[in-house]
Amino acid sequence: MAAFHLEMKVNGELVAVDIDPGMRLLDVLREVLHLTGTKEGCGEGECGACSVILDGELVDSCLVMAPQAYGKEVVTIEGVAALGQLHPLQEAFIEAGAVQCGFCTPGMILAAKVLLDHNPNPDRQEIARAISGNLCRCTGYSKIIKAVEIAASRIKAEAGAASD
Amino acid sequence: MGARAYKTYKKDEIKVLKLQEFCQPVELKKALDLLAVAGDQLKPLAGGTDLIPAARQGELKIKGFLDLSRLEELKGIKEEGREIHLGSLTTFSQLELSPLIKDQVPLLAEAASTVGSPQIRNQGTIGGNIANASPAADTVTALVALEAQARLVSSQGIRVVPVDELLCGMGETGIQPQEIIQEVFFAIPPPENRNGFVKLGRRKALAIARMNMAVIITLEDGVITRARVALGAVGPNPYRNQILEGVLEGRKPSPSLLEEFTSEAEQEVAAKLGPRPSAPYKREAIKGIARDLLSRLFFGNGQVVA
Ligand code: FES
Ligand code: FES
Repeated sequence: MAAFHLEMKVNGELVAVDIDPGMRLLDVLREVLHLTGTKEGCGEGECGACSVILDGELVDSCLVMAPQAYGKEVVTIEGVAALGQLHPLQEAFIEAGAVQCGFCTPGMILAAKVLLDHNPNPDRQEIARAISGNLCRCTGYSKIIKAVEIAASRIKAEAGAASD
Repeated sequence: MGARAYKTYKKDEIKVLKLQEFCQPVELKKALDLLAVAGDQLKPLAGGTDLIPAARQGELKIKGFLDLSRLEELKGIKEEGREIHLGSLTTFSQLELSPLIKDQVPLLAEAASTVGSPQIRNQGTIGGNIANASPAADTVTALVALEAQARLVSSQGIRVVPVDELLCGMGETGIQPQEIIQEVFFAIPPPENRNGFVKLGRRKALAIARMNMAVIITLEDGVITRARVALGAVGPNPYRNQILEGVLEGRKPSPSLLEEFTSEAEQEVAAKLGPRPSAPYKREAIKGIARDLLSRLFFGNGQVVA
Protein backbone atom coordinates (compact mmCIF):
# COMPACT_ATOMS: atom_id res chain seq x y z
CA MET A 1 0.00 0.00 0.00
CA ALA A 2 0.92 3.64 -0.19
CA ALA A 3 3.64 4.77 2.14
CA PHE A 4 2.69 6.68 5.24
CA HIS A 5 4.39 10.01 5.74
CA LEU A 6 5.46 9.98 9.37
CA GLU A 7 6.67 13.11 11.10
CA MET A 8 7.77 12.93 14.69
CA LYS A 9 10.46 14.17 17.01
CA VAL A 10 13.07 11.63 18.00
CA ASN A 11 15.56 12.53 20.71
CA GLY A 12 14.90 16.21 20.12
CA GLU A 13 15.23 16.14 16.33
CA LEU A 14 12.45 16.36 13.80
CA VAL A 15 12.26 13.27 11.66
CA ALA A 16 10.19 12.86 8.50
CA VAL A 17 10.16 9.44 6.85
CA ASP A 18 7.93 7.60 4.43
CA ILE A 19 7.22 4.20 5.89
CA ASP A 20 5.12 1.13 5.43
CA PRO A 21 2.24 1.73 7.87
CA GLY A 22 2.34 -1.94 8.86
CA MET A 23 5.54 -1.19 10.77
CA ARG A 24 5.55 -0.70 14.49
CA LEU A 25 7.31 2.22 16.13
CA LEU A 26 9.93 -0.32 17.20
CA ASP A 27 10.61 -1.28 13.57
CA VAL A 28 10.95 2.34 12.44
CA LEU A 29 13.35 3.14 15.26
CA ARG A 30 15.53 0.12 14.61
CA GLU A 31 15.30 -0.55 10.89
CA VAL A 32 14.71 2.90 9.44
CA LEU A 33 16.44 5.22 11.89
CA HIS A 34 19.02 2.61 12.99
CA LEU A 35 18.52 3.41 16.64
CA THR A 36 19.24 -0.13 17.72
CA GLY A 37 19.48 0.61 21.44
CA THR A 38 15.76 -0.16 21.59
CA LYS A 39 15.48 -3.96 21.75
CA GLU A 40 12.86 -6.44 20.69
CA GLY A 41 12.31 -9.22 23.19
CA CYS A 42 8.87 -10.74 23.24
CA GLY A 43 7.15 -8.51 20.69
CA GLU A 44 3.93 -8.63 22.66
CA GLY A 45 4.11 -6.26 25.59
CA GLU A 46 5.48 -8.60 28.23
CA CYS A 47 9.18 -7.79 28.58
CA GLY A 48 9.65 -4.04 28.19
CA ALA A 49 12.91 -4.38 26.23
CA CYS A 50 11.39 -2.16 23.55
CA SER A 51 10.38 0.61 25.99
CA VAL A 52 10.65 4.20 24.80
CA ILE A 53 9.28 7.46 26.14
CA LEU A 54 6.41 8.75 24.00
CA ASP A 55 5.16 12.24 24.84
CA GLY A 56 6.55 11.85 28.35
CA GLU A 57 5.11 8.40 29.03
CA LEU A 58 6.79 5.01 29.02
CA VAL A 59 5.38 2.75 26.31
CA ASP A 60 6.24 -0.58 24.72
CA SER A 61 7.20 0.40 21.17
CA CYS A 62 6.25 -3.09 19.95
CA LEU A 63 2.65 -2.17 20.81
CA VAL A 64 2.57 1.10 18.87
CA MET A 65 1.92 1.15 15.14
CA ALA A 66 4.44 3.61 13.74
CA PRO A 67 1.82 6.01 12.32
CA GLN A 68 0.42 6.42 15.82
CA ALA A 69 3.59 8.33 16.72
CA TYR A 70 2.67 11.04 14.23
CA GLY A 71 3.29 14.48 15.73
CA LYS A 72 4.64 13.00 18.93
CA GLU A 73 7.95 13.15 20.70
CA VAL A 74 9.97 9.98 21.18
CA VAL A 75 12.94 9.55 23.50
CA THR A 76 15.05 6.41 23.08
CA ILE A 77 18.09 5.32 25.04
CA GLU A 78 20.25 7.13 22.47
CA GLY A 79 18.67 10.39 23.62
CA VAL A 80 19.40 9.97 27.30
CA ALA A 81 23.08 10.89 27.40
CA ALA A 82 23.49 14.64 27.00
CA LEU A 83 26.39 15.91 24.87
CA GLY A 84 28.45 12.78 25.22
CA GLN A 85 28.03 12.78 29.00
CA LEU A 86 26.38 9.70 30.47
CA HIS A 87 23.17 10.28 32.41
CA PRO A 88 23.50 9.68 36.17
CA LEU A 89 21.28 6.63 35.72
CA GLN A 90 23.64 5.18 33.16
CA GLU A 91 26.64 5.75 35.42
CA ALA A 92 24.88 4.30 38.41
CA PHE A 93 23.84 1.19 36.46
CA ILE A 94 27.47 0.55 35.53
CA GLU A 95 28.75 1.15 39.06
CA ALA A 96 26.14 -0.93 40.81
CA GLY A 97 26.65 -3.90 38.49
CA ALA A 98 23.07 -3.53 37.27
CA VAL A 99 24.08 -4.42 33.71
CA GLN A 100 24.91 -8.01 32.85
CA CYS A 101 23.96 -9.05 29.33
CA GLY A 102 22.51 -5.57 28.86
CA PHE A 103 19.46 -6.56 26.84
CA CYS A 104 17.00 -5.13 29.33
CA THR A 105 19.13 -2.11 30.22
CA PRO A 106 17.87 0.49 27.71
CA GLY A 107 14.27 -0.17 28.73
CA MET A 108 15.14 -0.24 32.42
CA ILE A 109 16.93 3.09 32.21
CA LEU A 110 14.05 4.72 30.39
CA ALA A 111 11.55 3.32 32.92
CA ALA A 112 13.72 4.68 35.74
CA LYS A 113 14.10 8.02 33.98
CA VAL A 114 10.34 8.52 33.69
CA LEU A 115 10.05 7.67 37.38
CA LEU A 116 12.74 10.14 38.47
CA ASP A 117 11.34 12.86 36.21
CA HIS A 118 8.09 12.69 38.18
CA ASN A 119 9.31 11.54 41.56
CA PRO A 120 12.87 12.50 42.53
CA ASN A 121 12.63 10.63 45.86
CA PRO A 122 11.22 7.19 45.13
CA ASP A 123 11.34 4.46 47.75
CA ARG A 124 12.27 0.90 46.83
CA GLN A 125 8.67 -0.10 46.34
CA GLU A 126 8.03 2.78 43.98
CA ILE A 127 11.13 1.87 42.02
CA ALA A 128 10.05 -1.77 41.83
CA ARG A 129 6.61 -0.75 40.58
CA ALA A 130 8.10 1.62 38.00
CA ILE A 131 10.25 -1.16 36.50
CA SER A 132 7.59 -3.86 36.87
CA GLY A 133 6.98 -3.89 33.11
CA ASN A 134 10.64 -4.57 32.38
CA LEU A 135 11.97 -8.09 32.71
CA CYS A 136 15.59 -8.89 33.46
CA ARG A 137 16.86 -12.45 33.15
CA CYS A 138 20.26 -11.74 34.66
CA THR A 139 20.48 -9.45 37.64
CA GLY A 140 17.65 -10.45 39.93
CA TYR A 141 16.58 -6.77 40.03
CA SER A 142 18.14 -5.80 43.35
CA LYS A 143 21.18 -4.23 41.73
CA ILE A 144 18.93 -2.37 39.34
CA ILE A 145 16.91 -0.95 42.21
CA LYS A 146 20.14 -0.02 43.98
CA ALA A 147 21.36 1.77 40.83
CA VAL A 148 18.17 3.81 40.63
CA GLU A 149 18.58 4.81 44.27
CA ILE A 150 22.17 5.91 43.67
CA ALA A 151 21.15 7.92 40.61
CA ALA A 152 18.26 9.55 42.45
CA SER A 153 20.49 10.76 45.26
CA ARG A 154 23.08 12.09 42.79
CA ILE A 155 20.51 13.93 40.72
CA LYS A 156 19.20 15.52 43.90
CA ALA A 157 22.71 16.47 45.04
CA GLU A 158 23.45 18.01 41.63
CA ALA A 159 20.20 19.94 41.64
CA GLY A 160 21.02 21.17 45.14
CA ALA A 161 24.52 22.22 44.08
CA ALA A 162 23.19 23.98 40.99
CA SER A 163 20.72 26.02 42.99
CA ASP A 164 23.32 27.15 45.53
CA MET B 1 17.96 -34.42 20.96
CA GLY B 2 14.93 -32.82 19.44
CA ALA B 3 15.46 -29.40 17.99
CA ARG B 4 13.70 -26.67 19.88
CA ALA B 5 11.60 -24.37 17.76
CA TYR B 6 12.41 -20.72 18.19
CA LYS B 7 10.34 -17.88 16.89
CA THR B 8 12.17 -16.64 13.83
CA TYR B 9 11.44 -13.52 11.88
CA LYS B 10 12.29 -13.04 8.28
CA LYS B 11 12.76 -9.39 7.67
CA ASP B 12 9.88 -7.71 5.86
CA GLU B 13 7.88 -10.87 6.01
CA ILE B 14 6.52 -11.11 9.51
CA LYS B 15 7.76 -7.92 11.08
CA VAL B 16 5.69 -5.70 8.87
CA LEU B 17 1.97 -6.27 8.94
CA LYS B 18 0.39 -6.49 5.53
CA LEU B 19 -2.08 -3.66 5.59
CA GLN B 20 -3.93 -2.32 2.63
CA GLU B 21 -5.09 0.72 4.50
CA PHE B 22 -4.10 2.79 7.46
CA CYS B 23 -6.47 5.65 8.13
CA GLN B 24 -5.78 8.30 10.70
CA PRO B 25 -8.71 10.69 10.72
CA VAL B 26 -8.66 13.77 12.94
CA GLU B 27 -12.44 14.18 13.07
CA LEU B 28 -14.95 11.71 14.41
CA LYS B 29 -17.35 12.31 11.54
CA LYS B 30 -14.67 11.41 9.02
CA ALA B 31 -13.83 8.26 10.99
CA LEU B 32 -17.47 7.16 10.95
CA ASP B 33 -17.79 7.81 7.22
CA LEU B 34 -14.71 5.67 6.59
CA LEU B 35 -16.13 2.84 8.70
CA ALA B 36 -19.51 3.09 6.99
CA VAL B 37 -18.02 2.26 3.58
CA ALA B 38 -15.39 -0.22 4.77
CA GLY B 39 -17.66 -3.18 5.38
CA ASP B 40 -15.96 -4.98 8.24
CA GLN B 41 -12.49 -4.56 6.76
CA LEU B 42 -11.30 -1.61 8.82
CA LYS B 43 -10.55 -2.28 12.47
CA PRO B 44 -10.66 0.63 14.91
CA LEU B 45 -7.31 0.84 16.71
CA ALA B 46 -7.08 2.47 20.14
CA GLY B 47 -4.22 1.66 22.54
CA GLY B 48 -3.17 -1.35 20.49
CA THR B 49 -2.02 -3.44 23.44
CA ASP B 50 -4.23 -6.38 22.51
CA LEU B 51 -4.90 -5.67 18.85
CA ILE B 52 -1.35 -5.29 17.57
CA PRO B 53 -0.06 -8.65 18.86
CA ALA B 54 -3.29 -10.32 17.69
CA ALA B 55 -2.94 -8.84 14.20
CA ARG B 56 0.69 -9.88 14.00
CA GLN B 57 -0.18 -13.42 14.97
CA GLY B 58 -2.61 -13.49 12.10
CA GLU B 59 -5.64 -13.69 14.36
CA LEU B 60 -7.39 -10.77 12.73
CA LYS B 61 -8.64 -10.96 9.21
CA ILE B 62 -8.65 -7.29 8.32
CA LYS B 63 -7.42 -5.11 5.52
CA GLY B 64 -6.46 -2.15 7.63
CA PHE B 65 -6.60 -0.10 10.78
CA LEU B 66 -8.62 2.97 11.56
CA ASP B 67 -6.37 4.72 14.05
CA LEU B 68 -8.47 6.53 16.65
CA SER B 69 -5.55 8.12 18.47
CA ARG B 70 -6.02 11.60 17.01
CA LEU B 71 -9.75 11.89 17.67
CA GLU B 72 -10.16 14.50 20.40
CA GLU B 73 -13.87 13.63 20.66
CA LEU B 74 -12.87 10.34 22.30
CA LYS B 75 -10.70 11.83 25.03
CA GLY B 76 -11.17 13.25 28.50
CA ILE B 77 -12.68 12.49 31.89
CA LYS B 78 -15.61 14.75 32.75
CA GLU B 79 -18.10 15.21 35.55
CA GLU B 80 -21.53 16.16 34.24
CA GLY B 81 -24.11 16.65 36.94
CA ARG B 82 -24.15 13.41 38.94
CA GLU B 83 -22.51 11.44 36.14
CA ILE B 84 -18.94 10.75 35.12
CA HIS B 85 -18.15 10.50 31.41
CA LEU B 86 -15.00 8.80 30.19
CA GLY B 87 -13.83 9.23 26.62
CA SER B 88 -13.18 5.79 25.19
CA LEU B 89 -9.49 6.62 24.68
CA THR B 90 -9.03 7.27 28.41
CA THR B 91 -5.99 5.23 29.42
CA PHE B 92 -5.65 3.13 32.55
CA SER B 93 -2.98 5.54 33.81
CA GLN B 94 -5.32 8.48 33.39
CA LEU B 95 -8.00 6.67 35.39
CA GLU B 96 -5.52 5.64 38.05
CA LEU B 97 -4.29 9.20 38.53
CA SER B 98 -7.49 11.20 38.04
CA PRO B 99 -8.45 13.01 41.27
CA LEU B 100 -12.13 12.82 40.27
CA ILE B 101 -11.99 9.05 39.79
CA LYS B 102 -9.92 8.42 42.92
CA ASP B 103 -12.28 10.52 44.95
CA GLN B 104 -15.69 9.45 43.63
CA VAL B 105 -15.19 5.92 42.32
CA PRO B 106 -12.02 4.49 43.87
CA LEU B 107 -12.94 1.01 42.64
CA LEU B 108 -12.28 2.18 39.09
CA ALA B 109 -8.94 3.76 39.98
CA GLU B 110 -8.00 0.55 41.81
CA ALA B 111 -9.01 -1.59 38.86
CA ALA B 112 -6.98 0.57 36.47
CA SER B 113 -3.93 0.48 38.73
CA THR B 114 -3.83 -3.31 38.67
CA VAL B 115 -3.74 -3.64 34.88
CA GLY B 116 -0.57 -5.13 33.38
CA SER B 117 2.56 -3.02 33.59
CA PRO B 118 3.22 0.75 33.64
CA GLN B 119 3.63 0.62 29.86
CA ILE B 120 0.34 -1.19 29.34
CA ARG B 121 -1.42 1.24 31.69
CA ASN B 122 -0.07 4.16 29.66
CA GLN B 123 -1.22 2.62 26.39
CA GLY B 124 -4.33 0.56 27.07
CA THR B 125 -7.71 2.26 26.96
CA ILE B 126 -11.07 1.73 28.55
CA GLY B 127 -12.73 1.51 25.13
CA GLY B 128 -10.29 -1.17 24.05
CA ASN B 129 -10.85 -3.07 27.27
CA ILE B 130 -14.57 -3.27 26.46
CA ALA B 131 -14.21 -3.89 22.72
CA ASN B 132 -11.82 -6.81 23.23
CA ALA B 133 -14.19 -8.49 25.69
CA SER B 134 -11.50 -10.34 27.57
CA PRO B 135 -12.89 -12.49 30.40
CA ALA B 136 -10.56 -10.83 32.91
CA ALA B 137 -10.68 -7.20 31.77
CA ASP B 138 -10.11 -5.44 35.08
CA THR B 139 -11.70 -2.08 34.44
CA VAL B 140 -14.71 -3.73 32.83
CA THR B 141 -15.56 -5.52 36.08
CA ALA B 142 -15.57 -2.13 37.82
CA LEU B 143 -17.68 -0.59 35.04
CA VAL B 144 -20.20 -3.43 35.24
CA ALA B 145 -20.57 -2.88 38.99
CA LEU B 146 -21.12 0.82 38.26
CA GLU B 147 -23.82 -0.12 35.72
CA ALA B 148 -21.94 1.92 33.15
CA GLN B 149 -23.37 2.56 29.72
CA ALA B 150 -21.49 2.87 26.46
CA ARG B 151 -22.35 5.46 23.84
CA LEU B 152 -21.80 3.92 20.42
CA VAL B 153 -21.65 6.13 17.39
CA SER B 154 -21.83 5.38 13.69
CA SER B 155 -22.69 7.38 10.59
CA GLN B 156 -26.25 6.13 11.17
CA GLY B 157 -26.59 7.66 14.61
CA ILE B 158 -26.06 7.00 18.27
CA ARG B 159 -27.08 4.19 20.57
CA VAL B 160 -26.57 3.81 24.28
CA VAL B 161 -26.11 0.27 25.63
CA PRO B 162 -25.27 -0.97 29.13
CA VAL B 163 -21.70 -2.25 29.10
CA ASP B 164 -22.68 -5.69 30.40
CA GLU B 165 -25.21 -6.09 27.58
CA LEU B 166 -22.54 -5.30 25.02
CA LEU B 167 -20.43 -8.23 26.14
CA CYS B 168 -21.49 -11.44 24.42
CA GLY B 169 -18.81 -13.97 25.33
CA MET B 170 -15.07 -14.28 25.20
CA GLY B 171 -13.82 -11.79 22.62
CA GLU B 172 -17.36 -11.15 21.41
CA THR B 173 -19.35 -7.94 21.64
CA GLY B 174 -22.49 -6.42 20.19
CA ILE B 175 -20.48 -3.57 18.70
CA GLN B 176 -21.11 -3.38 14.96
CA PRO B 177 -18.12 -3.04 12.60
CA GLN B 178 -19.28 0.47 11.64
CA GLU B 179 -19.54 1.60 15.25
CA ILE B 180 -17.06 3.21 17.61
CA ILE B 181 -17.38 3.50 21.36
CA GLN B 182 -17.33 7.25 21.90
CA GLU B 183 -17.61 7.25 25.65
CA VAL B 184 -18.59 5.32 28.71
CA PHE B 185 -20.63 6.95 31.45
CA PHE B 186 -22.18 6.09 34.78
CA ALA B 187 -23.95 7.70 37.72
CA ILE B 188 -21.73 8.56 40.65
CA PRO B 189 -22.77 6.18 43.45
CA PRO B 190 -24.83 7.78 46.24
CA PRO B 191 -22.83 9.67 48.89
CA GLU B 192 -23.29 7.01 51.56
CA ASN B 193 -21.54 4.38 49.52
CA ARG B 194 -18.38 2.37 49.92
CA ASN B 195 -16.76 0.71 46.96
CA GLY B 196 -13.70 -1.26 46.08
CA PHE B 197 -12.00 -3.61 43.66
CA VAL B 198 -9.84 -6.62 44.32
CA LYS B 199 -7.86 -8.86 42.01
CA LEU B 200 -5.86 -12.00 42.13
CA GLY B 201 -3.00 -12.78 39.79
CA ARG B 202 -1.24 -9.98 38.03
CA ARG B 203 0.75 -11.37 35.15
CA LYS B 204 -0.54 -12.28 31.75
CA ALA B 205 1.19 -15.65 32.08
CA LEU B 206 -1.09 -16.46 34.97
CA ALA B 207 -4.25 -15.68 33.07
CA ILE B 208 -5.88 -18.85 34.34
CA ALA B 209 -5.43 -17.63 37.89
CA ARG B 210 -6.83 -14.20 37.30
CA MET B 211 -10.01 -13.30 38.99
CA ASN B 212 -11.42 -10.00 40.14
CA MET B 213 -14.34 -8.56 42.00
CA ALA B 214 -15.88 -5.11 42.32
CA VAL B 215 -18.38 -4.21 45.04
CA ILE B 216 -20.38 -1.07 45.74
CA ILE B 217 -22.57 -0.89 48.84
CA THR B 218 -24.79 1.93 50.02
CA LEU B 219 -25.34 2.17 53.76
CA GLU B 220 -28.27 3.90 55.42
CA ASP B 221 -28.50 3.85 59.21
CA GLY B 222 -26.00 1.02 59.26
CA VAL B 223 -28.00 -1.14 56.84
CA ILE B 224 -26.90 -2.03 53.31
CA THR B 225 -29.74 -0.68 51.21
CA ARG B 226 -28.17 -1.31 47.84
CA ALA B 227 -25.39 -3.59 46.67
CA ARG B 228 -23.69 -4.11 43.34
CA VAL B 229 -21.34 -7.04 42.90
CA ALA B 230 -19.43 -7.81 39.69
CA LEU B 231 -17.10 -10.72 39.04
CA GLY B 232 -14.41 -11.02 36.37
CA ALA B 233 -12.66 -14.11 34.96
CA VAL B 234 -15.38 -16.35 36.37
CA GLY B 235 -17.67 -16.28 33.33
CA PRO B 236 -16.74 -15.51 29.71
CA ASN B 237 -17.06 -11.79 30.52
CA PRO B 238 -17.30 -9.76 33.71
CA TYR B 239 -20.88 -9.85 34.94
CA ARG B 240 -23.14 -8.65 37.76
CA ASN B 241 -24.14 -11.32 40.23
CA GLN B 242 -27.57 -10.57 41.65
CA ILE B 243 -27.52 -13.51 44.04
CA LEU B 244 -24.50 -12.08 45.82
CA GLU B 245 -26.08 -8.63 45.80
CA GLY B 246 -29.16 -10.17 47.46
CA VAL B 247 -27.02 -11.64 50.22
CA LEU B 248 -25.92 -8.15 51.20
CA GLU B 249 -29.05 -6.05 50.71
CA GLY B 250 -31.13 -5.33 53.79
CA ARG B 251 -28.40 -6.58 56.13
CA LYS B 252 -25.93 -4.94 58.48
CA PRO B 253 -22.19 -5.40 57.91
CA SER B 254 -20.96 -8.04 60.36
CA PRO B 255 -18.41 -10.84 60.50
CA SER B 256 -21.18 -13.39 60.00
CA LEU B 257 -22.50 -11.59 56.91
CA LEU B 258 -18.97 -11.61 55.58
CA GLU B 259 -18.77 -15.38 56.03
CA GLU B 260 -22.17 -15.90 54.47
CA PHE B 261 -21.18 -13.81 51.46
CA THR B 262 -17.91 -15.68 51.12
CA SER B 263 -19.49 -19.12 51.05
CA GLU B 264 -22.22 -17.95 48.69
CA ALA B 265 -19.50 -16.54 46.40
CA GLU B 266 -17.77 -19.91 46.42
CA GLN B 267 -20.99 -21.64 45.40
CA GLU B 268 -21.60 -19.13 42.62
CA VAL B 269 -18.13 -19.74 41.23
CA ALA B 270 -18.59 -23.50 41.49
CA ALA B 271 -21.89 -23.29 39.64
CA LYS B 272 -20.49 -21.03 36.94
CA LEU B 273 -17.30 -22.98 36.29
CA GLY B 274 -18.66 -26.52 36.58
CA PRO B 275 -16.03 -29.23 36.04
CA ARG B 276 -13.43 -26.91 34.47
CA PRO B 277 -9.85 -27.65 35.61
CA SER B 278 -9.45 -24.19 37.09
CA ALA B 279 -12.61 -24.57 39.21
CA PRO B 280 -11.14 -26.01 42.44
CA TYR B 281 -8.47 -23.33 42.51
CA LYS B 282 -10.87 -20.52 41.75
CA ARG B 283 -13.37 -21.69 44.37
CA GLU B 284 -10.69 -21.30 47.00
CA ALA B 285 -9.41 -18.07 45.53
CA ILE B 286 -12.80 -16.37 45.43
CA LYS B 287 -13.12 -16.85 49.17
CA GLY B 288 -9.85 -15.03 49.71
CA ILE B 289 -10.67 -12.08 47.52
CA ALA B 290 -14.25 -11.81 48.79
CA ARG B 291 -13.01 -11.76 52.37
CA ASP B 292 -10.35 -9.16 51.61
CA LEU B 293 -12.66 -6.82 49.80
CA LEU B 294 -15.66 -7.07 52.12
CA SER B 295 -13.65 -6.73 55.29
CA ARG B 296 -12.19 -3.57 53.82
CA LEU B 297 -15.63 -2.21 52.92
CA PHE B 298 -17.28 -3.37 56.14
CA PHE B 299 -14.60 -2.60 58.66
CA GLY B 300 -12.15 -0.39 56.80
CA ASN B 301 -9.19 -2.74 56.66
CA GLY B 302 -7.71 -5.39 54.40
CA GLN B 303 -5.74 -5.31 51.22
CA VAL B 304 -6.59 -3.63 47.96
CA VAL B 305 -4.90 -6.24 45.82
CA ALA B 306 -4.74 -9.85 46.86
S1 FES C 1 9.45 -6.48 22.87
FE1 FES C 1 7.98 -5.03 23.43
S2 FES C 1 7.43 -5.65 25.40
FE2 FES C 1 8.77 -7.23 24.81
S1 FES D 1 21.02 -7.63 32.24
FE1 FES D 1 20.49 -9.36 31.05
S2 FES D 1 18.34 -9.16 30.91
FE2 FES D 1 18.87 -7.66 32.33
